[in-house]
Amino acid sequence: MDSLQGLAYGFGVALTGANLLACLLGVLVGTVVGVLPGIGPIGAMALLIPSTFSLGPTTALIMLAGIYYGSMYGGSTTSILVNVPGEAASVVTAIDGYQMARKGRAGAALAVSAVGSFVAGTLGIVALMLFAPPLAELALEFGPPEYFALTLVGLFFLSGLGGGSRLKSFLMVAFGLLLGTVGMEPISGLPRFTLGQLSLAQGVELVPVAMGLYGIGEVLIIAEKITGIPELIKVKFRELFPTVAEWKRAFPPMLRGGGVGFLIGLIPGPAAILSTFASYALEKRVSRHPQEFGKGAIEGVAGPEAANNSATAGAMVPLLALGIPFAPATAMLIGALIIHGVQPGPLLMTQQPEIFWGVVASMYIGNLVLLILNLPLVGAFASILRLPQHLLMGLILLLCLVGTYSVNNSLLDLYILIGMGGVGYFLRKLKFDMAPLILALVLGPMMEKTLLQSLFMARGDVWSILSRPIPAVLYSIAIAVMVLPLLYRWVKKRSEALRP
Amino acid sequence: MSLRALPIVSLCFLLLGIAYLVDNSKLPMGSAAKPGAGLFPLLVGFALSGLSLALFIWAGRNQDTAAKGQEPFPVGKDGQRVLALGVVLALFVLLLKPLGYGICGTALLAAVLRLLGLRSWRRIILISLVAAATSFFLFDTLLGVPLPRGVFFS
Repeated sequence: MDSLQGLAYGFGVALTGANLLACLLGVLVGTVVGVLPGIGPIGAMALLIPSTFSLGPTTALIMLAGIYYGSMYGGSTTSILVNVPGEAASVVTAIDGYQMARKGRAGAALAVSAVGSFVAGTLGIVALMLFAPPLAELALEFGPPEYFALTLVGLFFLSGLGGGSRLKSFLMVAFGLLLGTVGMEPISGLPRFTLGQLSLAQGVELVPVAMGLYGIGEVLIIAEKITGIPELIKVKFRELFPTVAEWKRAFPPMLRGGGVGFLIGLIPGPAAILSTFASYALEKRVSRHPQEFGKGAIEGVAGPEAANNSATAGAMVPLLALGIPFAPATAMLIGALIIHGVQPGPLLMTQQPEIFWGVVASMYIGNLVLLILNLPLVGAFASILRLPQHLLMGLILLLCLVGTYSVNNSLLDLYILIGMGGVGYFLRKLKFDMAPLILALVLGPMMEKTLLQSLFMARGDVWSILSRPIPAVLYSIAIAVMVLPLLYRWVKKRSEALRP
Repeated sequence: MSLRALPIVSLCFLLLGIAYLVDNSKLPMGSAAKPGAGLFPLLVGFALSGLSLALFIWAGRNQDTAAKGQEPFPVGKDGQRVLALGVVLALFVLLLKPLGYGICGTALLAAVLRLLGLRSWRRIILISLVAAATSFFLFDTLLGVPLPRGVFFS
């Protein structure tokens, strides 16, 4: 099936009643969680996974993916109107977006942000459609050593690129891997680290861990301060039209942001967040008005908003082509697929084309719906912020608890949820990044299985595993990334010491 | 607490790593050609213990930098509120089976609303009852998740 045939088939899948409804619901929930500072897309996806049990895997994935890219649209609304980013990926938008709003150009900032998200999101999906099938074909040649190398190097990059302390990020990876080893060993099925609990033999589930870290942990942090309802800048519909000069200035950053976002989305790490910073820095560098940045430059809104949407499409490439998630949100999507009994990997595209092409087509539809929803209804979405904090947090907690229980009807999952909520609270206060933990938990069992299979295959000859072409290249890149900055620092220090 | 938090947390991870390695020693290691169920956990256990030890030493040597890289923990009423929320959540889980979702869900929401600043008891009771009943209907009746009824309603 070529790309156009595949896309036509995908539209056939995505335009069925249930899938269309799932897409609408997903992008709507995504926009709402993007607006709300209390809960992000990962918490929302974890929350809604149990409600997808009665749906088919394609419908479930369409809805959950909608939450992921939909949240990127919603996050910008509060960044621009209240200077409160609803999402980490919209922090950069607040810099110039809020300044534009203070100058009476909130409508233009919102319109540019929505159109930029749409343009880049659509370009990103085109690139996803073109990149993923050949990558999946290439991945059919991959054996366990290649998969082990991909997951190991992916986790390494994620820990290094996430920002903050590398030591803390690596520690989170190790903790996530530890949690991933609880339960049955992937090859022999021997139960391990179950503390005598029969239900732990199934392993530590992703939903209670993600909901604890991102849902309960976040609510506990918000509960530290009782805040009032923020003041919103009101925008009238007729103000939503940027001037011709503003369009001219905004369009090239949208395209550049789209390119930057997609490429960063392919790299392991918090792609959406990183892409906004990269796009902002790029726009500032190439702009004819760099002095306006930070004071309401429209390029500072258009570029990053385009980048974060395109990055979500980029992040879907390794997920759909290789079955490997490189970001926490795509880890949730993999978790959902596994719960639905679907084996993610390069064969997904040929064996279950309705999932791949259905999701791709639904992303086109979802992006269009988001553009239509976000422009006229921007006031309605922003007014969600008027919901009192106590009501919102109370409902989130209740949904986290009952949602987690509903996965396996298990009290043990609730204990894990509360425990991880407490762990998440403490670790967030100490500035540990949660993304490596979630990804290591998801990738851990795959890493172990592929490592053991590689050793069995090579009869214990580690060198023959390392020297295969793809693993050798990946390990060399990782070593270079690790060693080169140290070497550069050492040379710089030496040259400074030798200077008279 | 804030200054010592990072060394304490890294020490907790170190202890976890050691306990994990001790438990792992009961599993078969196998050989390089025929690895056993304990091989991967052995690597993970050493990584966790080594990294937490490194973080413990780093935090001890660089107290100022470590303190800058973290947010202060709440004190006074703010701290008590977070603690009380934690206790309420733990009580919910402990009492869910014996008392059932109806009572626990209502009580949890009432406590959270009160703790987070809603003053009117009438509104607290009304919101809690409606939210608990709606979520019960949504999950138990519509989605078919059998939520615990407890001794009073079984």
